[in-house]
Amino acid sequence: MFEYIVRRIVYGLLILLVMTVFTFVVMRLVPGDVVTLQLAQAGVVSEEQMAALKSEMGLDKPVWQQLLIWLKGALQGDLGNSLWSQQPVMDMIAKRLPVTLELVGLSVILSLLVGIPLGVVAAVKHGKWADQLIRVTAITGLSIPNFWLGLLIITFLSLWFGWIPPIAYRTFLEDPVVNLQKMILPALALAVTLSASTIRMTRSALLEVLHSDFIRTVRAKGASERIVIYKHALRNSLISVVTLVGLQIGILLGGTVVLEYIFSIPGMGSLIFETVSKRDYPVVQACVLIYGGMFILVNLLVDITYGWIDPRIRHQSSKA
Amino acid sequence: MKRKDVNGVAELSQPGLQLPAAQRAAPRSLFWDECKRFVRTQPTGALSLLFILLMTVTALLSPVLAPYEPDAQYRESIMVGPNADFWMGTDDLGRDVFSRILYGARISLYVGLVTVVLSVIFGTLLGVVSGYFGGIVDMVIQRVMDGIMAIPALILALFIAALLGPDTKHVILALVVVETPRFARIVRGEMLKIRETTYVEAAKAMGARAWRIMLRHGVPNMVAPLTVLASLAFGGAIIAEASLSFLGIGTPPPNPSWGLMLSGATRYMENAPWLVVFPGLALSLSVLAFNLLGDALRDYFDPRLPS
Amino acid sequence: MAEASWLLEANGLKKYFPITKGIFSRPAGYVKAVDGVSFRIRPGETLGLVGESGCGKSTTGRMVLHLIRPTEGTVLYKGQDLGQMGAQQMREIRKRMQMIFQDPFSSLNPRMTVTEIIGEPLAIHRLSSGREKKERIAELLELVGLSKRDMGKYPHQFSGGQRQRIGIARALATNPELVVCDEAVSALDVSVQAQVLNLLKELQERLHLSYLFISHDLNVVKYISDRICVMYLGEIVEEADSEALFGKPLHPYTQALFSAVPNPDPMARKERILLKGEAPSAADLPSGCKFHPRCPKAMERCKTEAPALREVASGHQVACHLY
Repeated sequence: MFEYIVRRIVYGLLILLVMTVFTFVVMRLVPGDVVTLQLAQAGVVSEEQMAALKSEMGLDKPVWQQLLIWLKGALQGDLGNSLWSQQPVMDMIAKRLPVTLELVGLSVILSLLVGIPLGVVAAVKHGKWADQLIRVTAITGLSIPNFWLGLLIITFLSLWFGWIPPIAYRTFLEDPVVNLQKMILPALALAVTLSASTIRMTRSALLEVLHSDFIRTVRAKGASERIVIYKHALRNSLISVVTLVGLQIGILLGGTVVLEYIFSIPGMGSLIFETVSKRDYPVVQACVLIYGGMFILVNLLVDITYGWIDPRIRHQSSKA
Repeated sequence: MKRKDVNGVAELSQPGLQLPAAQRAAPRSLFWDECKRFVRTQPTGALSLLFILLMTVTALLSPVLAPYEPDAQYRESIMVGPNADFWMGTDDLGRDVFSRILYGARISLYVGLVTVVLSVIFGTLLGVVSGYFGGIVDMVIQRVMDGIMAIPALILALFIAALLGPDTKHVILALVVVETPRFARIVRGEMLKIRETTYVEAAKAMGARAWRIMLRHGVPNMVAPLTVLASLAFGGAIIAEASLSFLGIGTPPPNPSWGLMLSGATRYMENAPWLVVFPGLALSLSVLAFNLLGDALRDYFDPRLPS
Repeated sequence: MAEASWLLEANGLKKYFPITKGIFSRPAGYVKAVDGVSFRIRPGETLGLVGESGCGKSTTGRMVLHLIRPTEGTVLYKGQDLGQMGAQQMREIRKRMQMIFQDPFSSLNPRMTVTEIIGEPLAIHRLSSGREKKERIAELLELVGLSKRDMGKYPHQFSGGQRQRIGIARALATNPELVVCDEAVSALDVSVQAQVLNLLKELQERLHLSYLFISHDLNVVKYISDRICVMYLGEIVEEADSEALFGKPLHPYTQALFSAVPNPDPMARKERILLKGEAPSAADLPSGCKFHPRCPKAMERCKTEAPALREVASGHQVACHLY
């Protein structure tokens, strides 16, 4: 089991490295850079000034050298400074990351709270109208673009109730009411997609388990239907749901970009959006690293949970 | 047991031997056979397919079907709600929303189609090579694919599209980069299974080279998961293009991309809700059709799934 | 006999599969699937290779065709060592040696028509194209007892026996001299088995083919083989002409095998020789003679010394300390 975890962690780190190199190289391959953009605003500038600025930012060195410098810094916890605002990237991230985490966390909780029960109902009432209704709802939910949903919510809330979410952002600790008021709507919009997937996954996993021999034995023992469902079948299906969250977290994270933009939430999503167009390399690099890291971390946790649940992996002393 | 003439006729005259029921006239093609069976067993899927075909026809015929030019501005009718002249109202520049929606379908379908086609081609090539050869080749390709997939899809697309600038072509490139690893992974899995079959062994015994095995034996036998994924990816590409255009880094104005229409609508949401409703509805319906189709294909190919 | 008169020679073929353990895949031991097998086949002859499942006969068949590389040993085709050949040469030789597989359902690509299946070897070796190819395919179909009308059909439209015929047609497309039949009739119904076996026999006469016929079914092997090798746990324990072997089996294993075959004659008196225990795993083989733990006639010597294959009567070889 330990070996299993170690292998997974090493693999995750390797992927993180590949991903970092990939983004680093791509950013520098594409024409146009920070200096050109920044100076375009300042008006006409001489060649020497451009070269000096580039040198200051370390952009004149060969790509692989820049990569090594950045990696060295990153390993020591220094992610560099924003090329635009000179702020340390670490600080920017430290402020923005918790916001996005809160958003994602709220979405996941909402999705599971809505998705799992509905999925159970659909599976239990398999074939009846409740099942059909839930399934139609689910697939519709999957098809609706989350940002459109966000827009619709804002539009109709203000049209019908005259209410708009607060403009300024406050952290949860500062002002929980304002915070939730601001966060709940984008969290809902994000949650729709994930709940739809959760409903479908819970339903199909539960159906498969309910028809399995294992459950037939439990029923034959005379256990009541309720126990059958909750104690036995559900536990087995939850594994699939856990995996699903791991897979879908990528979509959720991607959704934060547009939704933070629409609802003016100062999180990682809006940060990466703002800085990519500006070619602010260090910030973008760090953002991609964080996003990728989150994705890898979540999947690592899923893998470990899997390994823990599956006794075959848990009790393996060496791999054959 | 009497020996028989090697000629088939004598064999059939043996007592007790019946012609198997499966021996009907040869179908013109395996493909049409399966199409017919699909329509019969998956009505929702067939309907979705029909909807998609209609949408395609409408998009292609938009110059004929649209009542107005998508760029034509009618200054007297700015931000008018849906009425007899403008079935879905007009936007802040007086352009007919309905016509723009029709033309917008072209963009969505175009992006979806090209993305899927290219992703399937690249993904399949990478996947079969990875799955067939295994070893170092497989490891390297897999690591790179995993590295790309570790970046959430929209973020990666955003990353590439923003760097390159607003242009439909750039959106397609970004989406192809995002989708290819997903196809490659599925194709690789299938290739690993197919590699172990007896008919591949037979091909090797005949002296078939690697390419022949990968393309003549591998690919035709992985059509099932590929079509499911292609359908779902099509829908995903439509939403992705809309998202990127919404953010301003996708299809540039004044093209009537549905996402772009939504972005323009944000300022006037309370005054002109139809500007928000209709493009989004168009998006949702299109994607719904592809999702239903993908679901139907999945059920069609795997009858073991509880329906 | 001069070397050139043998169509195929297998010398000391061994195949060991490593068992890996630990993160760094260190081999913890070997599965000795084939442990020193030699035989020779003349043109136009059928050599039967018989044994229980797991004795290594299928692996041997694949080594003959070089589908699996031998760990040790050589395969000579008309005197040429297959192991020393370049890719192009090997491809040429593959025209001369073909294989018919056990499972009629998985040995044909379900998405290819009969034309494509049988035409594939012709396409690979660029032997013909266009109309000529179609004519050749029709010719092959008639040869195996199917009709031209079957050309556009798909495998799932045929019965098991018919699919096996398609497989045979495919194997014959390049005019091979040697055909390895790996349990070619084992997956078929008994009545169909006879038809296919007869077909194989006729084709042999007509086309002057040699067969390496691998099977676990003694009756089948007896019907079609000229000479037979009996395999046990990766080694040949007895080799003789078909009649000689069935008339007087010498090795205790062969005797046990034969005694288990049902005899339709109710009056035939027969003692069923029961072997002790089960066949051991090929990863953990007994010392000395591999058969000694189960052998009813085992002696002390058998536990420590492995017997060599020796000729005890004309054309009859046995690996046993009794002789």
